[in-house]
Amino acid sequence: MASPEAQAHIPAVQDQVSAYGRTNMKTRYQPRSSRSMLLRRRGMLIRLGGAVATILIILMIVFPSARPAAILAGPLSLGLFSGGEEFNIETVRYYDLSNVQGTSRGWEREERILLCAPLRDAAPHLPMFFSHLRNLTYPHNLIDLAFLVGDSKDNTIQLLSDLLAELQVAEDPKQAFGEISVIEKDFGQTVNQDVESRHGFAAQASRRKSMAQARNWLLSAALRPTHSWVYWRDVDVETAPFTILEDLMRHNKDVIVPNVWRPLPDWLGGEQPYDLNSWQESETALALADTLDEDAVIVEGYAEYATWRPHLAYLRDPYGDPDMEMEIDGVGGVSILAKAKVFRSGVHFPAFSFEKHAETEGFGKMAKRMKFSVVGLPHYTIWHLYEPSVDDIRHMEEMEQERKQREQEEKEKQDRIAKIQDQFEEGGSQWEKDKEQIRDQEKKDFVARQAKGETKEGEKEASEVKIEKGRGEGKMHIVDPLNEIPEVGGKSPHKKEAAGEEKAKPKKVDQAAAQNADGPAAKVEDAKPAQQKAG
Amino acid sequence: MAVSRSLRRNNTITYILAGVLCIFFLYFFFGDSASIPSISTAPRQLLKSKDAASNALSPPSLPFRKPANLGPNEVAPPPPVVHYHMNNVTTTPDPVGNRESILILTPLARFYQEYWDNLCKLSYPHDLISLGFIIPKGREGNLATQQLQERIQKTQAPTNKNRFASITILRQDSEPPVQQTESERHKMAAQKERRAAMSRARNSLLFTTLGPTTSWVLWLDSDIVETPPTLIQDLASHDKPIINPNCFQRYYNKDKEAMDVRAYDFNSWQDSPTAQGLAAKMGPDEILLEGYAEMATYRSLMAYMAEEKGDPRKEVELDGVGGTALLVKADVHRDGAMFPPFPFYHLIETEGFAKMAQRLNWKAYGLPNYYVYHYNE
Repeated sequence: MASPEAQAHIPAVQDQVSAYGRTNMKTRYQPRSSRSMLLRRRGMLIRLGGAVATILIILMIVFPSARPAAILAGPLSLGLFSGGEEFNIETVRYYDLSNVQGTSRGWEREERILLCAPLRDAAPHLPMFFSHLRNLTYPHNLIDLAFLVGDSKDNTIQLLSDLLAELQVAEDPKQAFGEISVIEKDFGQTVNQDVESRHGFAAQASRRKSMAQARNWLLSAALRPTHSWVYWRDVDVETAPFTILEDLMRHNKDVIVPNVWRPLPDWLGGEQPYDLNSWQESETALALADTLDEDAVIVEGYAEYATWRPHLAYLRDPYGDPDMEMEIDGVGGVSILAKAKVFRSGVHFPAFSFEKHAETEGFGKMAKRMKFSVVGLPHYTIWHLYEPSVDDIRHMEEMEQERKQREQEEKEKQDRIAKIQDQFEEGGSQWEKDKEQIRDQEKKDFVARQAKGETKEGEKEASEVKIEKGRGEGKMHIVDPLNEIPEVGGKSPHKKEAAGEEKAKPKKVDQAAAQNADGPAAKVEDAKPAQQKAG
Repeated sequence: MAVSRSLRRNNTITYILAGVLCIFFLYFFFGDSASIPSISTAPRQLLKSKDAASNALSPPSLPFRKPANLGPNEVAPPPPVVHYHMNNVTTTPDPVGNRESILILTPLARFYQEYWDNLCKLSYPHDLISLGFIIPKGREGNLATQQLQERIQKTQAPTNKNRFASITILRQDSEPPVQQTESERHKMAAQKERRAAMSRARNSLLFTTLGPTTSWVLWLDSDIVETPPTLIQDLASHDKPIINPNCFQRYYNKDKEAMDVRAYDFNSWQDSPTAQGLAAKMGPDEILLEGYAEMATYRSLMAYMAEEKGDPRKEVELDGVGGTALLVKADVHRDGAMFPPFPFYHLIETEGFAKMAQRLNWKAYGLPNYYVYHYNE
């Protein structure tokens, strides 16, 4: 059964073979040369083209400027490929907020910090602030900066954007920060920003509310789902540790503030607590709050509201443990580190009276209300810039005037004495001349006498003259002509030494004169007009 | 001979392929080099409501450019300094004409297809709409996320000319307090805790997605399945800081044996002396709730102010608002008005929000005859 079937297949196979054979034969006997030449040439052309294309592509990879888009510039390429733009744009973001809770070792977990700084007429402080930024030890690429510039009359915005651009193009790539947002928004605030109007009691409530508004705008515009921490920092902080972010973070608290002091001139005591807004609540203050109306704002540090609260600032011990913590209820805004989740859950800077407080103090109160931990570090201090108040400036002006007056008086005295000296000197030189003449005369006489042969007496006389001359040279005009001066000078050894240089250093004489009793000085004064007349 | 011929035939195809590849490469060179100069030569940028940002750190309310593929030794350029002129962010009665961007925020517990369809049907220009979702942790949340992402993939495809400007999905950091069935959810005792958690979710969503270019914020609950397509324009045309349409629910009325509507959201109300009296007697941590027989407040509820064939543009002043659909000028939120997760004047969540806005001198209004519809379980 099997064999006939197999046999039946064989012819078919043979047919196929013959068919192939025939086609093979056809090609084999085709005129070969022209076709293969064409093929060869084409092959070569293709190979050549391929090589050129490869070289071009490699060139483009190596030198991006050789790319056609770069050569033909933007508009053409945009026109050509505008259809592709959508493909380059990502529209969907996904974040898990449990990854950005904030831990005590954020720099190891690459936790991002949002650094917020509200600015207003802050140009003079910006260079200092930027030097602080550069010095921060927390990885810069994890710090996002956000600034709100509002109602500024100076060049804050220009200076800020220049400094920021400089910061981002720094040579060291580690210096560059993360996202930088500059928000320009004017609220039309009327309160002046100078120290007096800023800190006057009457202006406080409305000033604090508008500050709170600015802070809220800044935060709501800059907070991202990627942030684990938010750091608020005033630009007018003069001295702060470079590691401040890590130092505060280590405590792993929801809201934490350092102590803020400021240096003062010596005549004001050298240093002073600055930020009085970090405090613990007291019974007195709570009772006071109940008596006030809904919109009233208690501000700390003014005699109008005696709250008897323990302030963080006053608890500072320069040698205390910087890690010591203290629970507080109100916080100051100079330097606040807070977990981003505090702001995410809705805590903000009330621009209304929240439990009788506004802005940062209200922020502390609200954080407490939502059961977040609010802590201050009494012995960890940063230093705020000293800006003299109007009173201080007045006082300093007075001091300056006093100083000038004193200098003026001294100068007058000096002039007077110098004048007197000059005139005395003139007199002295007259005496000297006269003496010289006398001596010459004596010498002549002596020579004449010697010549006459009166030797014994003449020798005696000559020795006397020599001594006289020596004394005259050493003390010049002081000794001989006016015996009053050495008496006026009093402190004779010094005087006598300096006597030679007296013309060069009249001040010493004058000081000495001033130290002495009035009597001789008056005498000198009396002498002056007469001499002037004589001059 | 036969082999070489077939090879030769293949060659032409290979060359075509190579050519296509070449064009492909060149295309990417074009695309690539077009995006580089905008970053390296311009360290200072100004972003407006419709611009795409240069990196993912930008405000979530803006789309951003995908990062350029970097070589092993290349370092991404530092992010540019971005300026935002917030003085120019307007909120006017004609938001389309003034190209004002809007952020639609939705705390998403369950995903409803009808919600998404309704959202896509909104006639407001989609390139001015950013969406934000916050989804709780847990199994149900995972499911909702998955369903949402499937829809987003389709809607946000680059080929879709009508895609939204940007979408942000957040997963909540805390577990939802208790599981919520419709009946359980409305029990009075559970309300405070539930609404406090809801407030935190809303605030987290709001403060992380609100960008410096956003003009309006529309709160839209995930169970709002039907709104007029012109919802945003209609509400914005009233030019009110906070405006609340009336939230109703369609149901099958067994008596009438036909579909009917009934009031759903009772959080929009005008205050009453009775309620204020109740509040005065309360401890600091107690809250007033609406819609419970145990606590008769005698407030005038907007739900009952609806008139048949009434003017849909009729406005009423409100002291408490509901969050099912709520259009807010972004400035109100920026000033600090948020959803208090603690009793604020004995109010919580959206009602507390209205009170806080009031403390900041922003007034809330309601439209009793303008309806949105809630899902019926």
